[in-house]
Amino acid sequence: MNPPRYPRAIDHGLAGCHTCGKVSPVAVEKCPRCGTHLHLRKPASIQNTVALMTAAAALYIPSHVLPIMTVVELGDVTHNTIIGGMIRFWKTGAYPIALVIFAASILIPLLKIVALSWLCAAATGRVNPSPGMLGKIYWFTELLGRWSMVDIFVVGILVSLVQLGNYMSITPGPGALAFAGVVMLTMFAAMSFEPRMLWDRLEDLSATPANPTTPPET
Amino acid sequence: MKKGFSKTWRSLLSWPKPRGGPRYSACHFCDTLHVSAPVEEGTAANCVRCGAVLYQNRPASLARASAFSLAALFLMVLVHVFPFLTMDAATLRKNLTLVGASTALFHEDAPILGSAILLFTVVTPLVLAGGMLYVCAPLMLGRYAPGAGQVAKWMYRCEPWNMVEVFLLGVLVSLLKLAKVADVHFGIGFWAFGGVMICMAAAVAGIDREELWDRLEVAKS
Repeated sequence: MNPPRYPRAIDHGLAGCHTCGKVSPVAVEKCPRCGTHLHLRKPASIQNTVALMTAAAALYIPSHVLPIMTVVELGDVTHNTIIGGMIRFWKTGAYPIALVIFAASILIPLLKIVALSWLCAAATGRVNPSPGMLGKIYWFTELLGRWSMVDIFVVGILVSLVQLGNYMSITPGPGALAFAGVVMLTMFAAMSFEPRMLWDRLEDLSATPANPTTPPET
Repeated sequence: MKKGFSKTWRSLLSWPKPRGGPRYSACHFCDTLHVSAPVEEGTAANCVRCGAVLYQNRPASLARASAFSLAALFLMVLVHVFPFLTMDAATLRKNLTLVGASTALFHEDAPILGSAILLFTVVTPLVLAGGMLYVCAPLMLGRYAPGAGQVAKWMYRCEPWNMVEVFLLGVLVSLLKLAKVADVHFGIGFWAFGGVMICMAAAVAGIDREELWDRLEVAKS
């Protein structure tokens, strides 16, 4: 038996407002309640998501190769990368904090890029996993993305605190800018993705019979 | 009889609805169209297809949203007056403030990073808490504050960029990084910012988006 068909807003020419949620006919163009432009689906969502994600992936490499900060201690200059900082925490036995940095700075941006590519592939029908699971992945990418900013905040805090003249001083490095770019671009990419496309795909699949040669039951 | 009726009525009515025709809500996740039915206080309406929350009926929504955002605004004053961390190294004492963290980056020729920190930890929380109070407090009297619709729109746009809790984690990581080279301790600003985090979360969760906009629409008409 086919799963029951659910009425979609798009089938009735209705659009839920992105900002206030009010459902109005898309023909009125602007939401009568809050004035936001109405769309049945976010325009060019796949293109925007892929573009932002590619930019984020390109910045991911310099963000980890270039130093995020430069420490000058008694004339000794050391360039710190994100991974280097994590390894130092691990070696000194600060395992929880090393894991937090690993998750926030290395794993989450990477997982986000992979997850969004997969979601885009699913929305365009290149892979066909269940929309329920994809929905969970999407929710996950939206929820966790912000935590990657922690390293940028650490750079800001350390630069502000450690200005001890000749004894020790810290300056931000180019890696920090690249990393901030990665975090913000992946956040924008997640926002421009249209989760409803995942379900539209399912709708299209069930609309066309799986086996057209089977005669209809009478 | 009358008492029983009004009790049922109260628990079902949730919040005042704008007039006119059947009211629909479309799931923001799968676009399934539902006829909106009032839900009991403390419960939520879920999408029949994907299970996502369509809207919730939060108890004492306007009062909670206003109170928690007001508290967040008060705590924000403390955050800017008192230091987050105090560091004693050699003979120097350094204080960290929220604005200090971003201005330091401006001085070190990293204006983009500096403004990002300023935006995510100072501006966004202020817009979110200030906007919430500006919109919700007059709504308690059934009034539509001038420009409340625009304010609400910007408030919800700012929401994903509010990174108060992430900054707190950053403070903890920095504290551990500095623990070896200097004597570092928490200041009042840190605890106040923790309070801001809790109050902001409570204010945003205190009122459902759908309810806020419905109430605005009713108050405006």
